[in-house]
Amino acid sequence: MRGPETFIQSLNLGGRRSPAETLLVYALHIVVAVVFILPLLWAIAASFSPNEEVFKYAYPFSWRALLPSNFTLAAYENLFARDFGVALSNTFVLGMVVVIAGGVVNSMAGFAFARFNFRGKRLLFVGIILITFLIPIDLTAIPRFILISELKWINTWPALIVPGLANSLVIFLFRQFFEEIPQDLIDAARVDGASWLSVFYRIVLPLSRPVLITAALLMFLTQWDSFFWPLLVAPHPALRVVQVEIAISIGEYQTLWNELLAGSMLAAIVPILLLLPFQRYYIQAITSSGLKD
Amino acid sequence: MSIHSKAVPYLFLLPAVLLLLIFNLYPTVATLNQSLHAQSFISNKLIYVGLENFERILNDPIFWKSVQVTLVFSILVNPIQIVLALLLALLANQRVRGIALFRSIYLLPVAVSINVTTVVWGLMLDSDSGLINGILATLSLPKQPFLTAPSHALWSIILLATWKGVPLWALFFLAGLQGIPESVIEAAKIDGANRRQIFRLITLPLLRGVLLFVLVADTVANFLLIAPVYSLTQGGPQLSTNLIMFETYRRGFVYNDLSTSAAMLWVMLIFVLLVVLFQAFVLRRRG
Repeated sequence: MRGPETFIQSLNLGGRRSPAETLLVYALHIVVAVVFILPLLWAIAASFSPNEEVFKYAYPFSWRALLPSNFTLAAYENLFARDFGVALSNTFVLGMVVVIAGGVVNSMAGFAFARFNFRGKRLLFVGIILITFLIPIDLTAIPRFILISELKWINTWPALIVPGLANSLVIFLFRQFFEEIPQDLIDAARVDGASWLSVFYRIVLPLSRPVLITAALLMFLTQWDSFFWPLLVAPHPALRVVQVEIAISIGEYQTLWNELLAGSMLAAIVPILLLLPFQRYYIQAITSSGLKD
Repeated sequence: MSIHSKAVPYLFLLPAVLLLLIFNLYPTVATLNQSLHAQSFISNKLIYVGLENFERILNDPIFWKSVQVTLVFSILVNPIQIVLALLLALLANQRVRGIALFRSIYLLPVAVSINVTTVVWGLMLDSDSGLINGILATLSLPKQPFLTAPSHALWSIILLATWKGVPLWALFFLAGLQGIPESVIEAAKIDGANRRQIFRLITLPLLRGVLLFVLVADTVANFLLIAPVYSLTQGGPQLSTNLIMFETYRRGFVYNDLSTSAAMLWVMLIFVLLVVLFQAFVLRRRG
């Protein structure tokens, strides 16, 4: 096990690095970065290439595989001609609706747990929030699916929106943040005769920008990436979301490689553009699910 | 006034609790109920059959094959991802110039969905003219039937799941590493500890909580993996990638046998709860 240990030593946990070590760190960074970026570069290049040239420089491999060989927008034009735009706008609208409605529902619950003492608080928190947080929703999809079909919601918008609105992780995040708001601010407003609802909307929420961004990002990305549930309850083309559209295209258009890749890149660009500027908020959201409390 | 204000927290909780009860908690209990019944074809009513569905899956070689595939997959993919994620976090924790750019690159697979990963890697692993075979050809190595041979297909799923998963778990380790106070490491150095000792005696023990969390969360996440199997292999070739999540989907929604599928999901649920309880148990013993 000499290998990993020398590697770990070269990472120099504290202290000054020799020039040779710095060089090694850069070399490792570059190798790892290539592993993560190469598939995406190839996919972007191929999505701007004519279909028959997608594999031209991939096999045998040449660096030209990472640049469009004969730049064309044909793949993207064909995608939009066959309703990929519908899937994109469906997913976008769904994301916005879930962020707004889910934001209201989850922030209110977080507020109740953070700022009130009431009978059954512990029971509700452990018995409902914690339990639902631990049970993966995909494992309980069948009765939920039956419930949705009994409600006659199959292939309707509510099937895609309502079951995911309440989110235990987002409730956790709100609770954690609201606990830190100084009691004085709330007391002052209460003494002035403000109702709890107006305390919540006029005092608490305006102070909560960071957690609101974090929660919105988390809910939007969860919605954007959701696949299994929409596949079950809304397979109809008019309601398809972007991940289902991509998965189905693999079977339906299996030889239109440039279009498959173009669709994938369109599905990827939205979360990338959201995550890169807001990565601090996102990392805080996902790590606090495991590292705090 | 006092009665009114007593109701306030419950009113704030009402929408979320109601939604969680209806769409999360009820389906959990109902999964068990469904697994104890059979769907009548004529009336679409449920008929109580006791443990028959469980008996049927326990006597089904396809179920056991998918258990075996899932077990092999878990034993391989989880340690691979966790070790690589820890190494990536150590690398990303280095203060060198340009680190922000590298960290942004490492975030890309986190942003890209598993379906997108599946499309891109599915084409790159094409047995005929994929990019990976192209690189092998450039190195004068033989072509590999990545997704078309039973000996290769599961490894290909592991590969793409690892590319997608490692950066996510590395974020947790990185957060853990950055939570270790500089002063602790400085103190150890003053006491004459070398880097290897610092890593083994300080860094690793302080990362134990994170490690435990990542172990559990990664195991559960990989246990639920379905997208690449759904899109690329449909469980094949020769059931070599028939992970249990895909098998339950196929039973329930391709063969319309919701009750057997529910029985399998309940077995999976018990497994997940055992893994989570294991985490709680270890944490309690430590704390």
